[in-house]
Amino acid sequence: MRNSFINTILDACRTRDDIFILSGDAGLGVFDRFKEEYPHRFRNMGIAEQNTISFAAGLALTGYKVFVYNIIPFVLYRCYEQVRNDICYQDLPVVLVGIGSGITYAPMGMSHYSVEDLGLVQTLPNLVTISPIDPVEARAAAVYALDSVRPLYVRLAKRGEPSFCVNAITDITAPNIIREGAGTAVVFHGSIANEVVAAHDVLQASGVAPLLISVPTLQPLAAEALLGILANVQQVICVEEHFVNCGLGSILARLKAENSARWGLTTMGIPAQFIHEVGSTEDLRASYAIAAADIVRTVVALQGE
Amino acid sequence: MIPEQVTAAARSIRRDIIEMAYRSAAPHVGSALSCVDILATLYFCVLRLEPWGSRDICILSKAHAAKALYATLAAKGIMPAEMLASYCRQGGTLPAHLDRATGHGIECSAGSLGHGFNIGLGMAHGFKLQRTDRRVFAVIGDGESQEGSIWEGALFAPRLELDNFTAIMDCNNLQGYGRATEICSFEPIVDKWRSFGWHVCEADGHDHGAILAAVAEDSGGKPKIIVARTIKGKGVSFMENELVWHYFIVTAEHRARALEEIG
Repeated sequence: MRNSFINTILDACRTRDDIFILSGDAGLGVFDRFKEEYPHRFRNMGIAEQNTISFAAGLALTGYKVFVYNIIPFVLYRCYEQVRNDICYQDLPVVLVGIGSGITYAPMGMSHYSVEDLGLVQTLPNLVTISPIDPVEARAAAVYALDSVRPLYVRLAKRGEPSFCVNAITDITAPNIIREGAGTAVVFHGSIANEVVAAHDVLQASGVAPLLISVPTLQPLAAEALLGILANVQQVICVEEHFVNCGLGSILARLKAENSARWGLTTMGIPAQFIHEVGSTEDLRASYAIAAADIVRTVVALQGE
Repeated sequence: MIPEQVTAAARSIRRDIIEMAYRSAAPHVGSALSCVDILATLYFCVLRLEPWGSRDICILSKAHAAKALYATLAAKGIMPAEMLASYCRQGGTLPAHLDRATGHGIECSAGSLGHGFNIGLGMAHGFKLQRTDRRVFAVIGDGESQEGSIWEGALFAPRLELDNFTAIMDCNNLQGYGRATEICSFEPIVDKWRSFGWHVCEADGHDHGAILAAVAEDSGGKPKIIVARTIKGKGVSFMENELVWHYFIVTAEHRARALEEIG
């Protein structure tokens, strides 16, 4: 996912001289090629997140399209007010590229997890937010980022994820149907995709395949398009590697309430709590009941009702 | 040589600040009066503003002194003078802290301290890369200099050889609720910046000639900071160096006395 996004940006640098990349002492090896080819358009800003974001805003004010690369806590948490005041308030074309979404970095510990970032972005008007599920969506997010003139946050996991998208993406801001199904829809974003698709494989074999819908662009939500896709669905299950109280699940709850949608809504995510448990990403997903088996169980239970 | 108009502009800016503070019943009048001479010198003697599209940039990072910038821009003819009447009032267009959407010479939004300085560094670097001779000036406070972000930028800027960037510290040793030198280990502030690799000048922040000389000093390829020693509330005797005038509201009586003193 990461390489797909970054390589698309780096390729664009061949024909554009306005792209500037800032990293915060992160991404070993990721930018080597870029640094060699365009030494004046890359800078390691060191371990100084507040300065990095304000500096990015300043570069944008002089006409640069700026990408800031770091793990999510260091593009959004440590420097929240700089993102709010300097980038979003001034509506500048800075792209925050955050790595390590959810519990990707388990077992690094809570400081390195990003399980509440979507709660923060919902407090940041102007900040378009994309959480791709795979390298295909990540590439489409990069294409979108290159053309965007607004603040943008792209929430990535790491590298090496498989592709789940069957078709090429023409519009990353629209919901993306990943697998066909009926009756129940599983709506999700980001790195949990492999669990959702694995669950679909099991359910399909049992003849109860749910519709899988990726929602890559979480802010602003393509509400009408999503409501249209869900028009004939009885049950919606939202699955995310994120706190359950401030992510896509709560966005869908608001969508349902505001539109008096008839579908039932079940939210699956990580309870809002500090994670002290030590384990791999897979261990923690199982522990918080957002793994493939949990999705299968939830779909079957709802369809039995 | 300082053009006579700087002295006249500073007087007019001070009058406008008192009028704005009185009409709006908004605070920070002492903070605004503190940096009048810095802004007047910059706008009337230093900044290259023509053509506007390639002008020098002035960022008021200590944006609670916005009144001073609005009045300066009006005095310079960049902001319509009638806009000052709407400062901080219902339906007006000039907020108490800076909003870039205001336009008319407001280069960047600011209000929370320790932002404008770092935005200015980014702009200075952008101008360098574009090989233009545009310069960036950022006016910061001594209270503001307690922000960690200032020191992140201070560590970083010399590495970029940003000799087109000048910070001017409005060093009045009086912030919202105390004195910088009593709240923290503020001095020796000149030594601190010098040790970070900056070209540091010290000047009387109310002496237009001294400010101008400091701006003109060759920084030898380094970013520059001018530690401008100032008096909060400068120009109105009962406000000068008085803590309360960070927040006190200007009454009709205050206004009359202040305008008489300013002349």
